[in-house]
Amino acid sequence: MGRNKFYLFLATACTAGYVWIFVNTVYRTNNFQLNTCIIKHVTDIPCPSCGTTRSMISILNGDFVSAMLWNPLGFVMAFLLIICPLLISYDLLYKKQFLLNTYLRVESYFKIKKVAIPMSLLIIGNWIWNIYKDL
Amino acid sequence: MDAQKVDMFIMTNGKFFEAHQVAIIRDRMLQLDDTKWATIQTMQFKDPTTSLIISLLGGSLGIDRFLIGDTGLGIGKLLTCGGLGIWAIIDWFMIMGATREKNMAKLQQIL
Repeated sequence: MGRNKFYLFLATACTAGYVWIFVNTVYRTNNFQLNTCIIKHVTDIPCPSCGTTRSMISILNGDFVSAMLWNPLGFVMAFLLIICPLLISYDLLYKKQFLLNTYLRVESYFKIKKVAIPMSLLIIGNWIWNIYKDL
Repeated sequence: MDAQKVDMFIMTNGKFFEAHQVAIIRDRMLQLDDTKWATIQTMQFKDPTTSLIISLLGGSLGIDRFLIGDTGLGIGKLLTCGGLGIWAIIDWFMIMGATREKNMAKLQQIL
């Protein structure tokens, strides 16, 4: 993937993320809940990242403990949603490709077995916890 | 390289590449010398149909992207429930092309 295509993709993803969070904070009530997770719809079992939205809303409200209890991945997503637009605008302003290079370095790092296996185990553990919590 | 060998390679492995790339691959391989034949013949390519099946079954966990070697995008898909379900559906149509591009990139390291 080229630099511009990658940045366009990432910018679209970030915009979608912010719109999603906005829609959920404004319109979410107990009777009306948006749910786009295919796995949840098909099997009625939560997926590893179910609860991330609720976790991020808790972070927005400053309630970090319940954010952790909803889904720890919410912190990762919140961090990415904050850092990505900043880095994209930095790279576009100064005509650099710091973000793309970092992405490629992190990607090759995650391909190492010693990193990939513990990470997969963490995700699977989180998944089991999600099923146990019945999100 | 011998035209017969090249055509044999194209016949066996043509389905792993985009249609417009096959002619280029053929031209490039004809210019190669015979020492590369053993390496090229034993190369393993990812099957687009397999990745489509994986995408239909485990697309919202990003398994299809992990399979073809796009680890970063796979993690992105995994953490966002398959891009809120939308990216997972788009990938049902994109994944076969993406697999063929990956195969081409792999072959290009030798050509």
